[in-house]
Amino acid sequence: MKTLKSTIALLAMAVLFISCGEETEDPQTNLGSSVAIEFDNFVGTSQVNLESEGSTSYAYNTTGGQEFNLTRVQYYVSKIILTGENGEIFEDELQVSANADEIKGYYFIHESDNASKLIELTNVPEGTYTQITFNLGIDEEGVQEGAAGGILDPANGAPFWNWNAGYIGMTIEGQTSVIDESEFAIHIGGWKDIVPEDGTTQKFYNNVKTITLNLDVNMQLSNTLEPEIHIVTDIQKILGDVDFTATPQVHSPAVGRLFADNLESAFVVDHVHQ
Amino acid sequence: MYISKKRIQLPVWGLLLFVFGCQDSEMRIDDTYVFHQPAHFPETTYTLENNPVTEKGFLLGKKLFNDPILSRDGSVACSNCHQQGTAFADSQQHPLSKGVEDREGIRNAPSLTNLAFLPEFFWDGGVTHLDFVPLNAIEAEFEMDETIENVIVKLNKSETYRALFKGAFDMDEVTSPYMLHALSQFMVMMISDNSRYDQYLQGEEVLSSEELAGMELFESKCESCHAGVLQSDFSYRNNGLDAMPLDSGRNRITENSQDWGKFRVPSLRNVELTSPYMHDGRFETLEEVLEHYNSGIQSYETLDPSLKSGISISDDERAKIISFLKTLTDRDFTRDPKFFIH
Repeated sequence: MKTLKSTIALLAMAVLFISCGEETEDPQTNLGSSVAIEFDNFVGTSQVNLESEGSTSYAYNTTGGQEFNLTRVQYYVSKIILTGENGEIFEDELQVSANADEIKGYYFIHESDNASKLIELTNVPEGTYTQITFNLGIDEEGVQEGAAGGILDPANGAPFWNWNAGYIGMTIEGQTSVIDESEFAIHIGGWKDIVPEDGTTQKFYNNVKTITLNLDVNMQLSNTLEPEIHIVTDIQKILGDVDFTATPQVHSPAVGRLFADNLESAFVVDHVHQ
Repeated sequence: MYISKKRIQLPVWGLLLFVFGCQDSEMRIDDTYVFHQPAHFPETTYTLENNPVTEKGFLLGKKLFNDPILSRDGSVACSNCHQQGTAFADSQQHPLSKGVEDREGIRNAPSLTNLAFLPEFFWDGGVTHLDFVPLNAIEAEFEMDETIENVIVKLNKSETYRALFKGAFDMDEVTSPYMLHALSQFMVMMISDNSRYDQYLQGEEVLSSEELAGMELFESKCESCHAGVLQSDFSYRNNGLDAMPLDSGRNRITENSQDWGKFRVPSLRNVELTSPYMHDGRFETLEEVLEHYNSGIQSYETLDPSLKSGISISDDERAKIISFLKTLTDRDFTRDPKFFIH
């Protein structure tokens, strides 16, 4: 598997190299190197394997002991920032566009597509990095640019709420044995922040979470080192103490918040390949 | 730049064109498809930098707006419920709009006017960017009952549409963001800024003493909510329609019980033409609307504090306010040929 990935990465590099060959690029702008970020979805200690709809094979348990399987796991990662202790900072460029090819800095990770789980950052300045920060979801800055293409296109599978317009940051769907209808769907969305004028009850729920993770080693970047950050996402932690009999369907920011609050603890840097 | 006297200048240009013929095409200044920011309007909220209006984009948007291809069974176009003659509101016969298979909607289709300047859309403000507005109409089962995926499939099957998208956006394939951009280009041009009220504001028109008296009454009795040049502060309020509101209104978006039964304060542009009124179209006439504020306020816990004891409006005052409201009618807008279906 690793060999395959390396081969793909090498091929991609080769293609990049060849396609850039025709352009006369200022060598000054081409400094820096690449970092790969791989997301790996787990339920507790088991790697996620998607089941088909209708499957009654339940490989996983919630922390409360309710058995379930997964048919869909997908989420948006955006605004990636790498920082080091000596002032190193890399902020991934962000751009929303109707043209799919021009979208930058927004990534759609979905379990059914292995390629989507690997993010390639380029032009990262050399240095030593100790921390990665990213947003889980699409915040106001992304939504308010208007209609977007590619991974942000609802006609192309982008999970989107029409009625309370915005992207669904995380989608977890599957089946459980504890309810008759079996299907459950946890959709975590909502990006608005409104501070109530009277200072009382919350209005709207911003479920876009900023996740900051320490790298397990000081990650060295140079022309010759192109490390890979391996992040594990634990769906069991996101589901938390969910009771599927009471909450089989989550489709609003207020209810989704209960799960969004679990997001920060659900991601860990498993290791960094130097 | 917005030129308020463009209609006076047009004959001069026409004369010049006549004199010089068409030899110098640069002499033609056709601003039909140029977005103008009216000088006396609030700033544009729409992201024109991502989607500048062009003639081809506008015309494609117009074609889409009038094409029932957007609906599941080819029966409903945007223009079914948003007609130019009523400032792109629904016809008076439809307090609640009709979707596919004659399904009835849940709220009155609002007038699509000055959308480029609005902060939020729909009666509950659930959409914060104009591009995302049509998704609701396309996918709501009581409106077009179609999926955005399938609309794109249908458009890609059409040679005509593929060519039009190629022309407008230089894209070989139709995708949803460009379809939404085309519709937005058409909709942001729905600017109503030449009512007699606008002309009065710019010193080009004189209002009658009745209208002026109505304006003064409006300012003292209505303007705390219907504020500014678009007659809305774009807040969400319960204006006392029901003792127990059935439609949750703004609560659906904020998920806060304090917003139950609240709806956006609508702009009153072209209000003479947009009957029936309120989110459910319950009032047919402006007289009924004003009488509601005078004597019909129903108390519910989210009732707007400013309406607790109603707004006292005498018969005489009501007539004057209505004559002022009619100065907000903009026939240049409702008869603007660029919106016509050819």
